[in-house]
Amino acid sequence: MIVVLLILHGLLAVALLGAITHQSLSVLRTAPAANGRWTFIARFRGVDATAYATPIVVLFAVTSIGGALLYPKYRIDVRPALEDTQNTAANGVFEIKEHLAAIGLGLLPMYWHFWRKRNEPETAPARRYLTWLLAFFVWWNFIVGHVLNDIRGLLP
Amino acid sequence: MTDSRTTIFSIMFGIVYLAAFYYDLALFRYYPEVGQFHFLRNDSLGGVILWYGWIATAALASAAIAFAVPRKMADRLWSGWAWIIPTAVVVVMLIYERRWFVS
Repeated sequence: MIVVLLILHGLLAVALLGAITHQSLSVLRTAPAANGRWTFIARFRGVDATAYATPIVVLFAVTSIGGALLYPKYRIDVRPALEDTQNTAANGVFEIKEHLAAIGLGLLPMYWHFWRKRNEPETAPARRYLTWLLAFFVWWNFIVGHVLNDIRGLLP
Repeated sequence: MTDSRTTIFSIMFGIVYLAAFYYDLALFRYYPEVGQFHFLRNDSLGGVILWYGWIATAALASAAIAFAVPRKMADRLWSGWAWIIPTAVVVVMLIYERRWFVS
């Protein structure tokens, strides 16, 4: 059961990573290419960023709940193994991961609120930087989750 | 919750979470080896998870602050604080967590 939950948690994280990366690049202020050609990056950025806000809120919340359900197993099986091998850096990156997940959960109401007010130009910087902040959280947590899983392995 | 109160809630959440984590103000503790929640510390039950309790503390306290702040004051809040304060919270947290990477 825990392996199924771990895989589901990983798949939801992939969806969240894709959505937040699309949105983060779409709020960049750089001008499109002068020749008007649609490069891969231009296509990646050329999305309706507003449409991603609600899915990102839902995915962040659901992925975090999945992480919270997996946490007891980590605390019992993985963390002691990391401590036994003096792998303090691995424990440290996980500590940061849990803090970023918590702070990110707290930011979601405000993030969603600012994306609902997308027509107000004075809130555009807040919208942009909150999106980048959440993107940093998601990328960090995704990479750390993968690395820790690689260290400990999927099965006992 | 109104829009401005939502913003105050989110801004305060990170600050209160950081304080809860730093000062060990978890609303409750979870002991995964026995599968029990406790309000008080109980070292005989094995390893503890404080994270759930920190989140609960931050959620309750920041909601209380968001409702306590007068509406007019909340509406005057500059939108820049919405990202500056959470970014500062993250920077402070990262500085504190350097302890894991220095010998």
